[in-house]
Amino acid sequence: MKNFFIVLKFELSSLIKKKAFLISTAIIALLIIVGLTIPTIKNAFTNTAVDTNEKQDENIDKINYGVIIENDSVKLSDLKIQLPNDNIIAAKNKKELNNLVISDDVEAGFIIKSPTKYEYLVKNTSITDDNSFIMDNVLLNIYRNENLKEKNIDANIVSEIYNVPAEHDTEVLGKDSMKNYIYTYALVFALYFIIIMYGQLIATSIASEKSNRTMEILITSTNTKHLIFGKVIAGAIAGILQFGIILATAGISYKLNANAWNHKLDFIFNIPSNVLITFSIFGILGYLFYLFAYGTIGALVSKTEDVNTSSTPITIIFILAFFVSIFSMQTPDSMILKIASFVPLSSFMAMFIRVSMGNVSHLHIAISLILLAGTTGIVGILGAKIYELGSLMYGNPVKLKTAIKLLKQNK
Amino acid sequence: MLLELKNIQKSFSNTKVLHGVSFSINSGKALGFLGRNGAGKTTTIRILMGLFDCDKGEILLDGKPFNPKEYSIGYLPEERGLYPKQKILEQLIYFGELRGLNNKQAKKNALYWLERLGVLEYKDKKLETLSKGNQQKVQIAETLLCNPDIVILDEPFSGLDPVNSQILKEIIRDLISKDKLVIFSSHQMAYVEEFCEEIALINKGNIVLTGNLDSIKKEYGKNRISLDSANYSTDELNNILSNKIKDIKIVDIKNKDIIIELLNGKTKNQLINNLLSIGIDIEKFSIYEPTLTDIFIQKAGEN
Repeated sequence: MKNFFIVLKFELSSLIKKKAFLISTAIIALLIIVGLTIPTIKNAFTNTAVDTNEKQDENIDKINYGVIIENDSVKLSDLKIQLPNDNIIAAKNKKELNNLVISDDVEAGFIIKSPTKYEYLVKNTSITDDNSFIMDNVLLNIYRNENLKEKNIDANIVSEIYNVPAEHDTEVLGKDSMKNYIYTYALVFALYFIIIMYGQLIATSIASEKSNRTMEILITSTNTKHLIFGKVIAGAIAGILQFGIILATAGISYKLNANAWNHKLDFIFNIPSNVLITFSIFGILGYLFYLFAYGTIGALVSKTEDVNTSSTPITIIFILAFFVSIFSMQTPDSMILKIASFVPLSSFMAMFIRVSMGNVSHLHIAISLILLAGTTGIVGILGAKIYELGSLMYGNPVKLKTAIKLLKQNK
Repeated sequence: MLLELKNIQKSFSNTKVLHGVSFSINSGKALGFLGRNGAGKTTTIRILMGLFDCDKGEILLDGKPFNPKEYSIGYLPEERGLYPKQKILEQLIYFGELRGLNNKQAKKNALYWLERLGVLEYKDKKLETLSKGNQQKVQIAETLLCNPDIVILDEPFSGLDPVNSQILKEIIRDLISKDKLVIFSSHQMAYVEEFCEEIALINKGNIVLTGNLDSIKKEYGKNRISLDSANYSTDELNNILSNKIKDIKIVDIKNKDIIIELLNGKTKNQLINNLLSIGIDIEKFSIYEPTLTDIFIQKAGEN
């Protein structure tokens, strides 16, 4: 057991001293700090700008529209009332209006033929162009107001009647999937990312020990179980440490900037403790499960360049498990997610989603946990045995089936 | 300590790799464990270190079953077995701790060996930044870090220049004088001859020759004469001997010397009389002592 801690200490220290670890953690943490501080920075600039340049800002925000009103179909004053924050420039003829539009003096031009018909002149169209939509509403309002006035009906009263909002209160009796969706998605995605990253790292690390023959010295110095468990758990701790630093940075940054956000992101950061506990337990076990699997792949190859090819099957299985879990988030009580929550390959994500967003009994959680923990232990021991055997298997990558067959023959 | 390997047999995937390897070695002596590439040396060493079990046979130490976990074994692999991207002192301490030393002792021993091998100045450098010879010295430091009872050296002189070879020679002599059990595997026969009292020659999984090196040399030189003449060239002498003298066989020509094997009980005196009678002016007539290379080629080259 002492040697396990020696391996763990050495491997962990090697991992966290790596420039890639330090730089990636620092960059991600910095991006999070900057991202969550943006509203505070924006507010600081907006407040001073309002004090000093209020008038200037008013002009800057105004949009210029060019118009030609044919046959006095609507009044220019009515248009100005409907668009109080914009400038309405009346053109003498279509040629002048075209020139205004082409020279960008106005954003758009309108030739109003009747209160319900107009020609729209625009320099370039874009998918965000809403000028015609604005003019539709302006003319419609003018048309309605005119007609209501003719019939002696107060347009304001009609508007009030039409625009009364229906109020409602929601009482969620089960789980609020709307609120849970984002943090559940974020945590599952973080788990996905960390497994892919550290899985490859462990596999490459073991394969390189084999290619540089350090493995021969290691396996003659201590028990292979200590080596593989120490290495994998060091990788797991490094990943958790990195994830923890990022999560803590995000939490603290948001806490400091929560007022600037008007507490809009509270629902992401106020994760219930039971969800966090489930995530931690299932996440760590699933993480270890895949790290052991990747470690075993590393022991089966002799060259680091073979790691990617040999780890493809396990990566595909993992990505499938991830997609099944993610796509089932919309229906957390679906049968497919229930099945996935018991299969160790996907249970750590699927069961977490069920706990976070659906309804699941404690018995199901316990069964899934036992299955996952047991399988993780088996994969770990198998990995250690293959790691030991790996010292004899140089050359082309060895298939898992062949390795297990060799294991049966030896000892 | 007397280490004995008795009838060690091993197969992989129905292919028999070792057919019954037996040899023994006493502490305070070095055994030259020789063989061609793929002869079974590494497999034997791995069984000795307990990496895997043999199918048949036994390893005894002082007559009792040998458990490698109970002894400190220093193993120098033929290829580099260290982390290229780790700092030298850090990884030496790590290997020392793995073999049971505490951190302080591991550091002390690592610094001692780095200094003795002349690579102390590189202790905080990554291994990959060192030359091949200096990397080999770090590997030697790693092997001897834990003051092992049994030292297995596989091509220890690989990459070392004459000055560094001299340092290593002194270290190996020191190990032998400190009663360590040294197993020395190399294709550089001159080094084996320099250190090893005993040899074991393995060929295709069989020990084809084992025992005291001097005795083996004498045995292989028995009935063999090294001859040179002053009045004939080597080729002329070869022709004369082949045609005019009975009960001899020309086995080799080395430099200017002709190596003759005496057959059918012919004596050295009879041969001298034969040579004088046919007018050969003898410049050199001596008992032939084969080199280890000669013995190796003869035994390992046999089908």
